Amino acid sequence: MKVADYQLSQYLPVLILGIVAVAFAAGTLLLSVLVGKRGRDSRIKDTAYECGMLPVGAGGTRLSVKFYLVAMLFILFDIEVVFLYPWAVIFRSEAGREPGVILGSMIGFMLILFIGYLYALKKGAFDWKH
Amino acid sequence: MNLSLLTLELGVIGLALALLLIDLWTPPALTGRLGLAAAIGLLLILALSWNMSGGPPVVGCGGMFARDGLALFFKRLFLAVGVLVVLMGVEYRERLALGFGEFNVILLIALAGMMFAASANDFVLLFVAMELMSVSFYVLVSFQRSRLPSLEAGVKYLILSALAAAFLVFGIALIFGVGNTTNFAALNAEGVRLAQDKLYWLGLLMVLLGLAFKIAAFPLQMWAPDVYQGAPTPVTALLAIGSKAAGFVLLLRVLFVAAPVLAAHWSKLLMLASAVTILYGNLCAIPQRNLKRLLGYSSIANAGYLLLGVAAVNASGAAAVLYYLAGYLFTLAAAFLVICVVMRDNEDIGALAGLSRRSPLLAGALALAMVSLAGVPPLAGFLGKFLLFRALIERGAAESPESFRSYWLAGVAVIGVVISLYYYFAVIRVMYWAKDPPDLSPIIVPARVQIPLAVCLVAMIYLGVMPGAVLAGATEAVKALKF
Amino acid sequence: MSAPLTHYLILSALLFCIGFAGAVGRRSAILVLIGIELMLNAANLNFIAFWRYGPHPEALTGVMFVLFSIAIAAAEAAVGLALVIATYRQRRTTRMDQLDTLKG
Repeated sequence: MKVADYQLSQYLPVLILGIVAVAFAAGTLLLSVLVGKRGRDSRIKDTAYECGMLPVGAGGTRLSVKFYLVAMLFILFDIEVVFLYPWAVIFRSEAGREPGVILGSMIGFMLILFIGYLYALKKGAFDWKH
Repeated sequence: MNLSLLTLELGVIGLALALLLIDLWTPPALTGRLGLAAAIGLLLILALSWNMSGGPPVVGCGGMFARDGLALFFKRLFLAVGVLVVLMGVEYRERLALGFGEFNVILLIALAGMMFAASANDFVLLFVAMELMSVSFYVLVSFQRSRLPSLEAGVKYLILSALAAAFLVFGIALIFGVGNTTNFAALNAEGVRLAQDKLYWLGLLMVLLGLAFKIAAFPLQMWAPDVYQGAPTPVTALLAIGSKAAGFVLLLRVLFVAAPVLAAHWSKLLMLASAVTILYGNLCAIPQRNLKRLLGYSSIANAGYLLLGVAAVNASGAAAVLYYLAGYLFTLAAAFLVICVVMRDNEDIGALAGLSRRSPLLAGALALAMVSLAGVPPLAGFLGKFLLFRALIERGAAESPESFRSYWLAGVAVIGVVISLYYYFAVIRVMYWAKDPPDLSPIIVPARVQIPLAVCLVAMIYLGVMPGAVLAGATEAVKALKF
Repeated sequence: MSAPLTHYLILSALLFCIGFAGAVGRRSAILVLIGIELMLNAANLNFIAFWRYGPHPEALTGVMFVLFSIAIAAAEAAVGLALVIATYRQRRTTRMDQLDTLKG
């Protein structure tokens, strides 16, 4: 029980940080309500601030669906790189024992990724014009 | 490491990648040929699998991959489903709108996932194989991007499957935490020590929950009707047969290779799940008018029957599960082939009216499939159910103080079968005895449907009348399990 | 001395529960997916903690599993996002309770 108490007390700074963060956020909000001048709302005040110019068009910009495609391809190819790390870690020890297996497995893996890349290329996933 | 262990899987993946590349340079008019090529390729791999039979069980790839009779039995099952579903896809091609080439490729990858699952001897391979299958299915189920039901089925399947996978991974983490290994054989070696740790029980329970989703059994069965209804018909067939069989082989491996010590303790739990699944599936199927949805509920009920064999915790129960799945394969494949040809835009049972006059072959095939599903002799479905019940009674006789529990469950299962007679025969009645059917134009059945349909029918009758060979194979296959 | 194993397990269990509450309670498909992602990460945290504190930290089983899990979660998220976008184009909603064309 004593030990558990001690271990939990290690987290005291984290707790203090949390309290301070919440207090600061709440405090600033409260301060702006208390100290700030109350003005009347108007349409012009509610518009987005664009360096004094009148805003043009809708607030949220519409993004091309291409972004989703590129984002998805990025996620997939990026995540596959994760498998390179453990491979690199054991490469030195395995290369001495079974050099064919360790190299062959990564070449096979890369080959499959390359076929995926070829597919995306041929389907025009990287073509931004259309 | 021994690559020859993976011959069949590498064959399927190689076929998929080759098709993907060839499809890129194939004019759209010729993509139908690619489907036939995929079917022929799978048939060749299936033939190759007979070359591999025999020999002692081998465990390779760092203890992850087991090649034994059980794995081989299920791999043949999956390859046979693959051939039938790819042919179904060729028939379904124009309704897929876009991307028939990709459809076949993803189908083959899902198939490879199932085949890896059949050999899983480690929780890492179990998880990766299951997810290879699941992610492929997300795409397949929602393949008709312009049809809302297909998309909706895809979203529902994705969310529930991902939820089940999260439970599975958490369960595996707990098992790893207690056992310090994810290997089935190593876990079994420590079985008695681990069984004393409640955290291990919890972990295994969560893994079973994840598998219950795959086989569509209580408590994670509610996705099946929606997804079966919304998915393209060939995908529904693959889900109903392949995905369920993969779930069962994983269930058998987890229970009887990794944790045989606990499996006996959990017989009661499995029996309860089985009873609820059977009653839920059969009772909910009664009011259904959409045939694919009806088969979704029927699939839940069948998961319940199959669980009887697992809950029996004996070799004859496991062999009965294998035999039942083999019969179920051909029965459902025949039903879905007919649905594929007849129900083009209307999947209501009423659309079958007058089918006996439009095409006696299709009507006869669907009628036989329904009779087999209902468990009427002498078809495959009857003998499968009989073997499952017998295994359950055997268990009851072996443990006399608990026997009433087995008999009680057998009673529930029989009630389920009686209920199911009602809705299966409703389908037959519409085909043969509907009053003034609206459409009597004859249906021309192309050879690419006739041949697989004939194979399914012959297999259904063969399995029912002469079960010897397949049952002997199944009995041999379950020697890989410990009870 | 760093925190003991139990603290990681408590954190992971909490994370799993929060994720589960999000997955079950939320109506938007995207938020449900985020909840499920949290559950997966809770499991990953468990794995790493068990591996680090286990008797065989030199065997990389725990890390390997987490890498697979991360890669698969990414694939799931990619397909999930594509599906939600496709559904939104058809139905103009990502709310699960408004996807109700399939019923018996």
